[in-house]
This record gives sequence, C-alpha cells and structure tokens, in this order.
Amino acid sequence: MCRKQAERLGYCKLHAEAYQSIIENYSVWKKALGVSWKEYLSEVIKNSLTGEWAKEVAEHLAKEGDKNNVKIY
Amino acid sequence: MQKYTLVITEKPDAARRIAVALDRNHKPAKMSLSGVPYYAAQRDRRIVVVPALGHLYTVVGETNKRDFYPIFSFKWMPRFMAERGAARIRIWLDSISRLAKGADSFVDACDYDVEGSIIGYSIMRYACGNKEHLSKRMKYSTLTEEELEKSYAELLPNLDFGQVEAGKARHEVDWLFGINISRALTIAARNVSGRYEMLSTGRVQGPVLMFLGAREASIKCFVPTPYWEMRARVEINGRTYEAEHERTIETKKEAETLFNECLKKTGCVEKVASAEYLQSPPFPFDLGTLQNEAYRLFRYTPKRTMDIAQRLYLDALISYPRTSSQKLPPTINYRAILLNLNRFQSYKSLTAELLALPDLKPREGAKDDPAHPAIYPTGRMPERTLTMSEEKVLDLVIRRFMAVFSLPAVIQIMKARIKVGSHMFQLTGRKTLTAGWQKFYKPYVHTEEVLLPPLHEEEKVKVRKVLMLAKFTQPPNRYNPASLLRKMEEVNIGTKSTRAEILQILYDRKYVKNERIEMTDLGFEVLETLKDYCPAIVSVKLTRELEEKMESIQAGRETRENVLEDAVNVLKPALEQLRINEKSVGERLSSTTVKAKLEEKIVGSCPTCKTGRLIILRSKKTGKQFIGCSNYFKGRCNTSFALPQKSHVSATGKKCKCCGWPTVQVRARGKHMWELCFNAECPAKKRRKQVGMQGVPQTG
Repeated sequence: MCRKQAERLGYCKLHAEAYQSIIENYSVWKKALGVSWKEYLSEVIKNSLTGEWAKEVAEHLAKEGDKNNVKIY
Repeated sequence: MQKYTLVITEKPDAARRIAVALDRNHKPAKMSLSGVPYYAAQRDRRIVVVPALGHLYTVVGETNKRDFYPIFSFKWMPRFMAERGAARIRIWLDSISRLAKGADSFVDACDYDVEGSIIGYSIMRYACGNKEHLSKRMKYSTLTEEELEKSYAELLPNLDFGQVEAGKARHEVDWLFGINISRALTIAARNVSGRYEMLSTGRVQGPVLMFLGAREASIKCFVPTPYWEMRARVEINGRTYEAEHERTIETKKEAETLFNECLKKTGCVEKVASAEYLQSPPFPFDLGTLQNEAYRLFRYTPKRTMDIAQRLYLDALISYPRTSSQKLPPTINYRAILLNLNRFQSYKSLTAELLALPDLKPREGAKDDPAHPAIYPTGRMPERTLTMSEEKVLDLVIRRFMAVFSLPAVIQIMKARIKVGSHMFQLTGRKTLTAGWQKFYKPYVHTEEVLLPPLHEEEKVKVRKVLMLAKFTQPPNRYNPASLLRKMEEVNIGTKSTRAEILQILYDRKYVKNERIEMTDLGFEVLETLKDYCPAIVSVKLTRELEEKMESIQAGRETRENVLEDAVNVLKPALEQLRINEKSVGERLSSTTVKAKLEEKIVGSCPTCKTGRLIILRSKKTGKQFIGCSNYFKGRCNTSFALPQKSHVSATGKKCKCCGWPTVQVRARGKHMWELCFNAECPAKKRRKQVGMQGVPQTG
C-alpha cells in the first residue's frame, strides 16, 4: 500500500492506525444503519470526510474480500 | 577630545528616537562612520547613540569542519564570520569599536528582554572591550520622548545579567540541538542518495512536529460515523423559527420513528426561561493574543503581525510588543493616553465616554511579564502614512485598549421548550441588552442576535415542517498558524519571540504546507525517524523541562552550565543512535526527499496536449520561475504560464472552482498565502477585470 516497512498485520505503523480506526467504527455504522461489512467499506470509501490513510486501507480491505480475512484485535 | 556617553540601541530607528529624546533641543546631529549611522546629542554632556542591527554576534562551533557531528564545543563570534551575506556586520562592529574608544561611560538601550539583553551585552563585551560591567541599562516600554527621557534619568546601574545568562543558554542550547541533529539527518540522507539536501530539526521544532504529526495522523485515519439531527420549523406570529431536538440521534431507525411521530402534530410551548449574564471585557493584548486576534480578523500570519507590531513600536505608536503580560499598570497613565487618542476623530466620542468615568480601571488577565506591560497604544499621531495592514493592527490595539476600561456587556439568553407529539424541541434566542465593552471593540466583536417573539407557556404553535438531517462526525480541525502558536504557548515551548519563526522554518523545510497546516510526507518521515531512533528529541515533556530550567537561570535559581550539561546529556545518546542506524535513517529520508521534491513541482496535467504534465520550472536564462509542460523537452508542447516571482510556489492538488484548471499556492515570506489559478482565460479573472474597469473613469 505504501513503500514503508510493514509492522502490524501487513500495514506500516501509520496505516495500521487507520486500520484500527476502520475496525473500531464498524460497530457504530452497523448499529446506526444495519450495514454489512462490505457496504460499510464502500460507504467509508466514498465519504469525503474519510481520512486519506483510512480510505487507502478501506480500498485495500474491499479488494481483499470479505470480513473473514480481517483480524479484529 | 571631550569624552562622551555611548548609548547602544538594537535598531537604527530606535537610535534616532532615543537621540531625539535625549538631545536638549530634540535635534541631534546625524552622523556616519564608514556608512554606519549614529547620532550626537547634547544633554548635560555629550551623548553618542549608535544602533546595532539586531544580533551582531552568534554561536559557532570551535572547529570549521562541516561534515562532522557530534559537536559540543562552541564560542561566540561576530556574525560575519559565521554567516554568508553578513559582511556588513564587520563594518558595523568596527564602527562601534571606534566610537567606544572615545567614550567613558556606556549605556545599553537595547529592548529590555532576553534577546535585547544579549545584543547589548555582547556589544559591550566584545565590540566595546569588556565594558559589560561598567555599562548602565535603559529600561523602557515605549519609544515616546517622555518615557525615554525618564528612563535615561533613572538608569539601572547594571546590565540584567540574569537575562543575559538565560539568553546565552537559550542560544547555546538551541545551537547544540540544531547543529547536531540537523547534521546527523542531512549526512545520513546524503550518504545514501549522494545528494545534499538540508534536513533540519531543532529543540522546539521536534516537539512541534510531534503534535502536528499526531493531529495529521488523526485526520488521515479518521472514519466518519453517521448520526441524525431533528429540527422543527415552527410558525409564531407569522414568522418561522427553527427549533432543535434536544439530543442527537444515533440510529436511522430511531430518527425515522421520531420523524414520523412528529409529522402533522401541533407544537406546544412547555417552558419559557430567560437569563441574563455579564460578558466581561477582554484582557489587554499580550503578543500571543494579538497574533491570534490578527489572524482571526485579518488572516495575518503570526510572523506578519509580529513584524507590523515591531514597526508600530519603532514609530512610537504602540508599546513594546514582545510581552507576555496582560496587565496595564497605572504608571502608563491611562488618562493621558486616552486624551491623546481623543485627538483622533474616529476615537473622539468613545474616548470622551471613558474620560468621563470617575475611575479608570482596566480588566487584566493573569499573565504577567516582569519586563513589560501588556501592549497599549501611545496615542501619538503617526509621522508617516501607515500601510493598510499597519493601520488595521494599530486600530485593533487602540480599540482593545479602550475596551478593557469599559463595562461588561449584558446578554440575555432566552430558551423555549416546545413539545411536538411526545418529543421535546428547543428554541434559543440571544439578545444584547447593554453593549458595554462591545461598543468600543467594534467591528472586531461579532455577536449573533437571535430575537425570539414573546412566548407563553402552553401556547400552541404551528409546525410547518419537520426536518430529519443525516450527518457525519467531522475529523479534527487542522492547526492554523494562530492555533499552533496557542498550542506552543499552552505547553510552554519556545518563546513569544521565536514561536512564529519556528513555524516559518517548518514551512521553509517543507515539513508542512498550506495555511490549514498539513504535514507533508517529508515531515512525517523526519518525525517518524526521530521518534524511532531518538524519541527524546521530539518529547514535549523534555523540551518543556529544559525551557523551565532556562527560565530559572533568569531568576538565579539555575546556572547556564547545568542547563548546557543537561542538554548535552540528552543529545549524546540520541546522536549515538542516529550514528548507529545511519544507513536505515539515510534510506528512509533520502527516498522521501526525492519524492517530495518531485511531487511539489508537479501541478497537474497539461490542458493543451493532454498527455504532458505541468511542472513548476525555473528558466536557466532569466532565473524566473514559470509553469511549463513536460512534453516541451520532447519537442511536443510549448505551453507555459507566468508565475509571481520572489515567492514560493507549490502545487495544491486542487482545481479552480471556476475553470477546473489546477491551482498553485503562492507564499511570499511572512505574507498571507494565496491560491492562484494561472489560466489567463479563467472566467473569474475576466469578471474581476470587468468589475475593476467599471471603477476607472472613461477618457476621450
């Protein structure tokens, strides 16, 4: 995703923070709109308020496949 | 030849004012020695007033080796020996030395603060030949004749050696941090890329990067979450008002239920309450609050405000601006200043109102500065035509000064709770009952008046519309120059004089960009490198502790030697880590600098050939900067656009709202930044031109 060295879960330190933020906020979206993980990622990608790194991680996750591939820690 | 008193000032303007004030007839003779101006005044004896040009001496390393660190030994040297382009300093120092030979008493009349004390001390010691212990000190806060004469009559017997030691320590510690860390980073990057690219950080720059980085990361990692707001448009006495639901709603389902339950319902006023509160006048300006206010009102950068305030001070229009005090002691003579201001037509009625008060008492803040009071106007008439920006800042200082003596404003807040169905909405009104200080601070105070009609409990109101607004949480705000300064002040790093300069350095080094401060990839890489290998350098806590120790030197509770030792103890292990990891540090930094340099120059795609990229270039022939197409080098496109010269131009990545062309950001040193659409055919430009033409009288 970026040229930096991967440190956690295949992400560099900065993108790992964005990943964490995506994981944490899914529960809020799910409660608010009842969206699936895939729908959530798609909404996050097209929202203009989403941060640059969060968008990159969301695009990466959306490409990668369903939520089973995502480790929640 | 008759001996004289030699008075040293910080700047030429101050020398002229002091000489005029001290001369018996207020007409000193202006003279020159090798092009250096000085003034000869006659009082009870002959007085020679000679200016410095700010700092004439600086800290340099004991060795001249440039590719070398760590370096912990240093000395104070004339600036011309350390800096390129400071050749004039040699003549200046030589002239001061020659004038010192004819003097038998010495007065340091530099600004009464840490920097001024260092300037005066080093001149007395090095240029005048160890006269630092013989020298007396002038202390003043305005350059008005009355205060200067009083200050000369009541000379302090010695230099303030506490301030001198604190200032020396600050310069030396900053030099140790700056030279060592910057060299370590620059050398590491150069050893990998083979190219020289200056990478710097300093004692205060590091922690500032740290909190800029934290904010940037939280913006870049931000994921918005949805919520809903409900509003009810109610009709009262033929007018429509918007009442807000008492809480935000977290789920769409709940929002829809609430919406449906409110539809076609009549509202009922459940409760009406009103309260009055007093809004106290603002505090007098210290430098930080003046910079904040000038940014809020005029969008002036802190550095620009500082420069304007300095000019107003040198013109004796305002008091010394580098102050952290929010207090106005009675000794400045409030009534005399207001009487002076009363001569200005625009302040006549306002000052008359204040002068009619039996007692003038300013509202003061908690912050204090032993050296100077808060910033206040002298009430003098300008001797020259002020620029628009100088006029604005002067007016702001004058109105603030008047406001602090005024009465509190009385504000009424009215709240009405309206029940729609089973849900509660709230209408809020705000009315200024007595303007108080706001009248004096106009137009710089903005109050939004929301007047509500008279309402009675159990009154029925018609609900015209119910609104369900889907919203998203917002990312944190970026720092702007003013809020960053506030943050630095809050965590107590840097000084009131250096904070604005530190921000400028971050821009110059391309660690940050844009007015809403955005950290660049290069800024992030430098920060991450420092965090990984030497976290102490970017630690806010450590920097603050060092800052506090330096403040203790001034009070005599700490010694300069101890503080320097502490600084070296922080630096040594940090530099060792950078040396051990030089290769990986270099790899990280060099790839980012190359990328950053290229990205900054690419503006967008070429609108003519559609395949090339527009790049900011500099002509080898004329040295001028312009925008050209990358296909020019292949002989395929010769599109080019002119750019403003003597300014830093960078790509914004944004498009012009009017024509869709890419825009660039133009930043001239210390001035307001602006975004420029370089399309000469942009409809917005044509419109502006037409508007301008309408104002031009027709000829022929």
